[in-house]
Amino acid sequence: MTRRTRRFIFFSLAILAGLAAGIMFGWQVAPIQYKDTGPDTLRQDYKTDFVLMVSELYEHDADEAMAIARLTYISPTPPLETVQTAINYAEENNYSSVDLQLMDNLAEAIESRSLHYDQNSAGL
Amino acid sequence: MMNEDTQEILQPQTPIKKHGPWYLLTGLILGFLLGVIYTWWINPVIYESTNPASLREDFKDTYRVTIAQVFAATGDLDRAARRLEILEDENPIYLLGAQAQRALAKGEEEQAHDLALLASELQAVTAGSLTQPTPLATDTMQLIPTQTLPALTPVP
Repeated sequence: MTRRTRRFIFFSLAILAGLAAGIMFGWQVAPIQYKDTGPDTLRQDYKTDFVLMVSELYEHDADEAMAIARLTYISPTPPLETVQTAINYAEENNYSSVDLQLMDNLAEAIESRSLHYDQNSAGL
Repeated sequence: MMNEDTQEILQPQTPIKKHGPWYLLTGLILGFLLGVIYTWWINPVIYESTNPASLREDFKDTYRVTIAQVFAATGDLDRAARRLEILEDENPIYLLGAQAQRALAKGEEEQAHDLALLASELQAVTAGSLTQPTPLATDTMQLIPTQTLPALTPVP
């Protein structure tokens, strides 16, 4: 093995070692910190609590349109899907029956509203 | 064996350069930079489970006003306080007040009312807990016998 080849091999190994160190640094030691995140990145428990807040407000004002507008704040998915996901999470994590009922009421309201619109658009 | 026609060609002695391990350091630095570029720009850590404290300020404002609206609707101060805690604001009462002012300036009177209401309720609770005297635990206090001087004058 010539000296040149040996140097090339060691140089490549050094690059690989540096690459590994750089990846470790960039992912583990100092990953990019997101300080200005959007609500859609929130952890599911926080999303569920937000859905619960919307449900509490809906119970108070019975304003479905406003509830749907509020739900779009935390997720770009359809509002009913957002509420259903929150209900599933709440059931798995033993939320109180009162809170579950509030979220169920909101889900029902959104569902009936979408049914109503479907019927209207179908000319029924 | 040299004769007149032939001459010894003297090749200049090239000194063997001792580069040392610098090329290894160069490789390490190059690799490290490539790694950082990859992890920061090409494939950065994606945060999918953030907490409300990391939200952008305008999203935090929406979150805060929703908490205030729920409090105005339900009157559950304990729950509102716990929800505000997760925003990790340094001075939540001040921020509620400031946001109420901004809402009022924008003509959103109902939001301003709800924010101000929550701020004042929290302020009242905080002030109450500060001014309330802490009762002395006299029942559990151990009386320590102390040596007292004998009275010089008889007590009538």
